[in-house]
Amino acid sequence: MSELASEPSGQRPRIGCRDLRVSARGRELLHVPALDVAAGDALAVLGPNGAGKSTLLRALANLGGLHRTGEVLLDGRRAGSRELRCAVAAVLQRPILRHGSVAANAAAGLRLRGTGRAEARRRSAPWLDALGVGHLAPRSARTLSGGEAQRVAIARALAVAPRVLLLDEPFAGLDATTRADLLADLHAVLDGLDTATLLVTHDRHEAVALAGRTALLVAGRIRQLGPTERVLDEPVDVDCARLVGFTNLLPPAVTGRAELCAARPEHCSIGGAGGVRIPGTVRRVVPLGGATRVDVDTAAGTLACRAPGAEGLAPGHRVTVSVAEAGLRTIPTSGPFAG
Amino acid sequence: MDVLLDGLRQALSLLFSGDAGTWAITLLTLRVSLGATVVAALVGVPIGAAIALGSFPGRRVLLAAANTGMGLPPVVVGLVVTVFLWRSGPLGGLGLLYTPTAMVVAQAVIATPVVVALVAAALQQVDPEFLVQMQGLGATRVRALWALGVEARLPLLAAAMAAFGAVVSEVGAAQMVGGNIAGQTRVLTTAAVLATSRGEFGLAIAFGLVLLLLAFAVNLVVTLAGRP
Repeated sequence: MSELASEPSGQRPRIGCRDLRVSARGRELLHVPALDVAAGDALAVLGPNGAGKSTLLRALANLGGLHRTGEVLLDGRRAGSRELRCAVAAVLQRPILRHGSVAANAAAGLRLRGTGRAEARRRSAPWLDALGVGHLAPRSARTLSGGEAQRVAIARALAVAPRVLLLDEPFAGLDATTRADLLADLHAVLDGLDTATLLVTHDRHEAVALAGRTALLVAGRIRQLGPTERVLDEPVDVDCARLVGFTNLLPPAVTGRAELCAARPEHCSIGGAGGVRIPGTVRRVVPLGGATRVDVDTAAGTLACRAPGAEGLAPGHRVTVSVAEAGLRTIPTSGPFAG
Repeated sequence: MDVLLDGLRQALSLLFSGDAGTWAITLLTLRVSLGATVVAALVGVPIGAAIALGSFPGRRVLLAAANTGMGLPPVVVGLVVTVFLWRSGPLGGLGLLYTPTAMVVAQAVIATPVVVALVAAALQQVDPEFLVQMQGLGATRVRALWALGVEARLPLLAAAMAAFGAVVSEVGAAQMVGGNIAGQTRVLTTAAVLATSRGEFGLAIAFGLVLLLLAFAVNLVVTLAGRP
């Protein structure tokens, strides 16, 4: 649990929480002692399935009838459901659009807040353009593709000029190309806004693309919080290491070092020189388009390697896995190795 | 065949001559069945919504009961309501037996499970995250529920139409709790039964035709009102 004392980001926090707890059927699902997101900043909450990411997002916005305790702060002041309702707009994993045209859907958030029909359409139209779906405005929302629908859902949320934007895995159901395009467009849109953005995701690439800071959430607790680059490159425990892609754990016995180390598959090669070398037997070879994934059974368990040149390798072959020195990270051994 | 053609001819002349008795029966039928549908909607929509959106013990049992209740025999409902309203029954003091009010009560009992089951089904068709998403855009709970109702308006209207169809066409309960008293509790179905038993097929066919036209007119109005 390092770096958890809300890092100062230089600005006053727009939204935050203190001692936020959510429980269901007597079991605590989430406990966040403190978390802040400043205006104009984006925080990614990265975690595996079931870690409590969506619960955190919903608890902050008071959505979904959760049993929560603690405080949610808006601009440093304790916020009730009314204040939160006015300040927050949420985009969920599935773009839930209503019957009617794309233009009417983009205006729906403003309409729900009591804005007149014409005014709501006028104010929401530029956001459809900004998200690249302005030309679809007269179309029925039911005819949209998944990517287009999610763009409309994001435009709908941004149209209400939210002081806090909550994104609950909005790219999860999209194909890789659509997702990359939408991430780029959203990044450009958010860049010029004064909105505090909270992105919940299980994909570290989304965190890199959108968020200056990242929190790692495991089993309802924030394990690590800091600048995205650092959080993704310097995991503080075994769970965090796995979460950010350091999936190969190397115990002292195989590395000859004093502490547990971890490495990404892309930093492990077959038969390379230098660094740490671990002998093993090929378990399987999986072609992945550009590269090949080779799983090797070693004394450290099964290690996954991203090998560019794996021609001629087959299960049962004796090989040596080498891990470049620069790719090794030392993991403080607070958690169980085998976890 | 002649009987049928004669009956049809007689029915049309009755309808187009503006027969006062037929009109009175038609209006009472409308009053009783629409009244029962409104009562069933007032009771059934909140229950159906609670089943679809809530999570409480007994929710599935309630839904199963409502689904079973959709096939409730009107005669059984008529019998139970009659027993309750009978002079020596628990509600006998109200003096409602053989009145249009008693018919509304009995038909509402028939229609309520229909409304509950179909409203629950209608709301369950909408994305389970719909309310969360609407609230996540700034809607109050009430406004989000209203948006949900608007989103599901077609299946909700279908529920109302099914309830109206079930009560306007039933004869058992109307006969038992209304008594088919001329000028007081005679509705189209009970009148048709009586006319048929007397061999007045023209009259019976006329009542049947009015019943069909009535059901069609009500459903047409509701369908047009629910156009997206």
